[in-house]
Amino acid sequence: MSEAPVALVTGAATGIGAACAKRLASEGYRVGLHYRSSVEKAQKLLEELPGSFGLKADLTQEAEVDALIKAIKAGPGRVDVLVNNAGYNVNAPMLTMSLDQYDSVAAVARGTWYLSKMVLRRFMFRRGAGRIINISSVVGHTGNPGQVPYTMVKAGLDAFTKSLSQELTGKDILVNSVAPGFIATDMTEVLPDEIKETIVAKVPQGRMGTAEEVADVVAFLSTRASYINGTVIHVNGGMYGG
Amino acid sequence: MEQSEIMGNVVKILTPWVKNEDALQSVSMETSILDDLKVNSARLVDVVIAFEDEFDIEIEDEDVDSVNSVGDAVTLISSKLD
Repeated sequence: MSEAPVALVTGAATGIGAACAKRLASEGYRVGLHYRSSVEKAQKLLEELPGSFGLKADLTQEAEVDALIKAIKAGPGRVDVLVNNAGYNVNAPMLTMSLDQYDSVAAVARGTWYLSKMVLRRFMFRRGAGRIINISSVVGHTGNPGQVPYTMVKAGLDAFTKSLSQELTGKDILVNSVAPGFIATDMTEVLPDEIKETIVAKVPQGRMGTAEEVADVVAFLSTRASYINGTVIHVNGGMYGG
Repeated sequence: MEQSEIMGNVVKILTPWVKNEDALQSVSMETSILDDLKVNSARLVDVVIAFEDEFDIEIEDEDVDSVNSVGDAVTLISSKLD
């Protein structure tokens, strides 16, 4: 078994996931980088982070989650921190959205639930300790037009945080959400300037956040927070206070 | 490993979670883990993990569903050791 603590980050190849992976590596974690389709970006990050290991899986498929768990068991043999960052979104008004599109967004939540269950069952329960950090979103609280399924999933993720934390009594396993606001990523980089200005106008701090600012909070919850449990920490520059 | 030895270890593992100590005094293969021994169902995962560690086996969730009595646990563990 790995002597260094292990952090598993889902959707780790890009954006907030990649920032979390880098930050947790700098805190001394061996980082398991989960990715699905961003193979090249994941490979680049793996080279950048010593001791890290790659885990390619479609989290919506039970067999692939099982294989991921087996790979960790056969490799480092432990998971101390799980960052549930992977998500999927389809932007469209509800009345033009198909049930298949809804399912594609909701399926990741199902996969997150199953992965969390298996990480608890195979690793965290055995040690009686662990940290689960769910990356939700401000839009799960405020709503956002064109994102009905996505906002449902993100609101559900915060409910998952609250319910699971209440189930895990008597153990040092803490579950929290980090809800980012508008964060500058590759996805927002390509937006037209006027859209960016509209977004920033909603933020009292007058700018988008960075993935690193979200990762700072994730690192704090992973390493130093010992009495924060079952809550949602908003990282949004003041646009929503919870 | 003999079934009696497995049973001894199963009872030893269950003991910290048993709420009905009278039932523990007369424990048999037929004793129900939840109904007779009054083990809290929320602690069953801890029990299963302790079985896995003690016997160096892996127990799937579907296997757990079939375990009601001490004898069921002994039978399951025996099958994993074969």
